[in-house]
Amino acid sequence: MSYQAIGKKLGAGETVILDGAIGTEILRRNVTWADHQLASRPEFVRGIHEDYIRAGADVISTNSFQLCRRALYNHFRDEAHRRQIGATDLDDRADKLLAASVRLAIEARERAAAGRPVAVAAAITTLEWCFRPDLAPSPGQAKREYREIFEVVQDAGADLVLLETLNSIPEARAALEVAKSLGLPCWTSFVCDERGRLFTGETMAEMVAALEPLGVDAILLNCAPPGDINAGMKELLPYARVATGAYPHIGRFDPPEWVFTDEYPPARYLQVALSWQQMGARILGGCCGTTPDHIAALAGLRQKTGRA
Amino acid sequence: MYQQLEARLKSREPVLLDGAMGTELVRRGVRWRKHGLLTDADSVQRLHEEYLAAGADVMRTNTFQLNPRIYLNVFRNRQHMRHIGAPGLEDLTPRLLRTSVRVARQARANAGREKQAAIAGVLAPLEHCFRPDLAPAFEQASAEQLELARVFAEEGADLLLAESMNTIAEARAVAEAARTVGLPVWISFVIGPEGELLSREPLAQAIAEVEKLGAQAVLVNCAPPAEIGRALAKVKVATRLPYGGFAHIGKFSPPSWKFEFFPQFTETENWPPERYASEAQRWREEGATILGGCCGTTPAHIAAVNTSLHARREGARSA
Repeated sequence: MSYQAIGKKLGAGETVILDGAIGTEILRRNVTWADHQLASRPEFVRGIHEDYIRAGADVISTNSFQLCRRALYNHFRDEAHRRQIGATDLDDRADKLLAASVRLAIEARERAAAGRPVAVAAAITTLEWCFRPDLAPSPGQAKREYREIFEVVQDAGADLVLLETLNSIPEARAALEVAKSLGLPCWTSFVCDERGRLFTGETMAEMVAALEPLGVDAILLNCAPPGDINAGMKELLPYARVATGAYPHIGRFDPPEWVFTDEYPPARYLQVALSWQQMGARILGGCCGTTPDHIAALAGLRQKTGRA
Repeated sequence: MYQQLEARLKSREPVLLDGAMGTELVRRGVRWRKHGLLTDADSVQRLHEEYLAAGADVMRTNTFQLNPRIYLNVFRNRQHMRHIGAPGLEDLTPRLLRTSVRVARQARANAGREKQAAIAGVLAPLEHCFRPDLAPAFEQASAEQLELARVFAEEGADLLLAESMNTIAEARAVAEAARTVGLPVWISFVIGPEGELLSREPLAQAIAEVEKLGAQAVLVNCAPPAEIGRALAKVKVATRLPYGGFAHIGKFSPPSWKFEFFPQFTETENWPPERYASEAQRWREEGATILGGCCGTTPAHIAAVNTSLHARREGARSA
């Protein structure tokens, strides 16, 4: 288990570097994202993981954002309709791609880590769209679906699950309970707004109070611009006792793609990450729009003590 | 322009629609973003030209499921879209709709078919075409469809074609919008596994409702050929309007994301053009006069349908 080394570092107050974006990086390299490219261009996905490892990431996250059976099934009215017109492999396509996403990250580690401990985090998000808490399934239903997903990534060899871009406490709790029941280390990461609240309006204090008793291993904020993440970190840090972290996005969401801007070149990105490290955050990385160059800029933070 | 088309429909002559835009653009390697209208307008135009060369009488704009909701739906709300979204997203839809008509018009001019081919502004359900449970209520749908219809009218589309309509309420909303902007409208329903609308509302009732509101033709689409054939038998006894159909071929292979309808159909090789054309020929023999192709079909499919329709006409003449 490669998580032990990471867990130990966090326990000792050391900084851990998370990787950067994979979905938008695929687009930036001018490849379409339609099927996560796990089946059609596996070597391409693995190459991006390798670039992040060489840039200095201690934790790499799988290319599996929103990859679940529900995402595929949502395109049909119901099962009868899916059987009528849907591709024949839909029943197990998500599971196969999920397992492949973990395998590719593990392969990248074998090729690029050069003996350095690197953990593979299965990146899993909300079951419905990450920015729409109004669409979330009931906690009971969510638990059933998360169990299926986590069993697949655990079997495939993931070291931890990174629940990212979460938008509500109830769904986070459901997922965390399942992860813990399977014995998986689990980081939960939330999107937040300009006031530093979850998209449901729930507060960081409420979230911490709900998740820490369940054994969450770290709490992070992601998928918002640096300014919003900053607001969120100010709300989060006074309450969290577990390790905290942040990985903002940079640029603009241009559905279904991304606009890359030069507002946060690596040097400036490092400055905002450094400010969070000084506030107490210990896990730093990048969300949509970030590149291996951004992660390379962060790698030096590992040497800083910068205690809050 | 539309008068010619109307005259042909009245005399029960066949009218050939084009085939799929989205699935064919994706098959050709166009990256699906903004319907290709910003980054790959030349590919869109070329495909229109190929459909015209294949014999299409009606060109459908590349605007299926293109409306402000597809962008807004992937944000928390409008304010969030302004906050983290690309600049210009709020006004993107009318811009793309206008581009779609211009691209079609340019293709028509290049083909020298200004006097023969009609441009149909394509409308679709505001939410996912396969999810009637998400459809907005009638008043809301009316307001939003009217905005889209108005852009097509301003750009000079010859008619509106509402495709893959999955509820009666939204089909009525489109029919009324067309009337308000003064464009003729054809309405096409997506057929579910039960052989009725995807919402399970009866096809005959849907047809009666839009007929009352002035639809000039009714069609069925976005189901496999055999099911389109069965649905057409129901349409035949339900209306005296001109009617027709366009089937999809192959299997819908959705993306693992939530964004707008992603046009990817696989296993289309089971439906080579000649096989599709012989199916369409059967629909023609049953009285359908408007024929074309939905997802998965290509210019070769439309050319094959065209050839078979002509062969039939020649045959009728010599008999």
